[in-house]
Amino acid sequence: MRGTAYGGEAPGKRWPVNGWLAAACLLLVLGLGPALCGAVVGPVRSRLLAQNVATVLAALVLLLSSPGYDRPAYLDTALVLAVLGPAGTLVYERLLAEDLPRGTPWPALARAASWASVAVVPPVVVPVCFAVAPGRTTVKVLVIGALLVAGSAVCGRALARAPRTAVGEDSGD
Amino acid sequence: MTELPVLLGLLLATTAGTAAALTRDPVHQALVLSVLGLALALLFTLLQAPDVALSQLAVGTVLTPLMVLLSVRKVRRRPREDSPADGRGGKR
Repeated sequence: MRGTAYGGEAPGKRWPVNGWLAAACLLLVLGLGPALCGAVVGPVRSRLLAQNVATVLAALVLLLSSPGYDRPAYLDTALVLAVLGPAGTLVYERLLAEDLPRGTPWPALARAASWASVAVVPPVVVPVCFAVAPGRTTVKVLVIGALLVAGSAVCGRALARAPRTAVGEDSGD
Repeated sequence: MTELPVLLGLLLATTAGTAAALTRDPVHQALVLSVLGLALALLFTLLQAPDVALSQLAVGTVLTPLMVLLSVRKVRRRPREDSPADGRGGKR
């Protein structure tokens, strides 16, 4: 059922899931779980940050599912999310401009989360680059990675700025 | 064990859906709906349905929360229109 289009071992022989799917599961549990928790509690600014992190992590899970299931078509899903995700976050940030100045209760955690969402992209994108067929597909994976890094950095910076009505907590990033 | 990604995706979608249903404020709910859309798109991809996932990404991640936020914005603007006009026609 699972061919060797990616040149790897078919799962089911020694391991129940192959390495790509295991990494995807790890990202799901360790990344999207806390991102969901961050989107559920707190003021609007930290929720929006959590939504941004969730977008990046979901795009990475989609990217990992492509070699995981031997379907090059899944890269298109990751590409669409890499384009729509940061654009959506920036649109929300514009629409919620009135609610944002309330600040985050944990500014250090927010900053760490936005840095982490940028830093986790290269360790995922580079192995996938080597796993896909050379040529146009590699360029597609690289474009996904670049869009995710750029989008996440822009959104993180836009959201981690100090609140406009400075209450005295966030002392300027 | 091979179904582990699907199980995790299902768990994530269930939790996100429950959280969205239990959130009261529309603005907060819009953001939780966005995460729910992401979780559903992941679930569809893990269930080998990438076309459905593409549609879900377009609708659930961008459109639904956007419509909720635009409605909230429209509803909130009403008290301000009663105040004396300052000639800007209500534009921000």
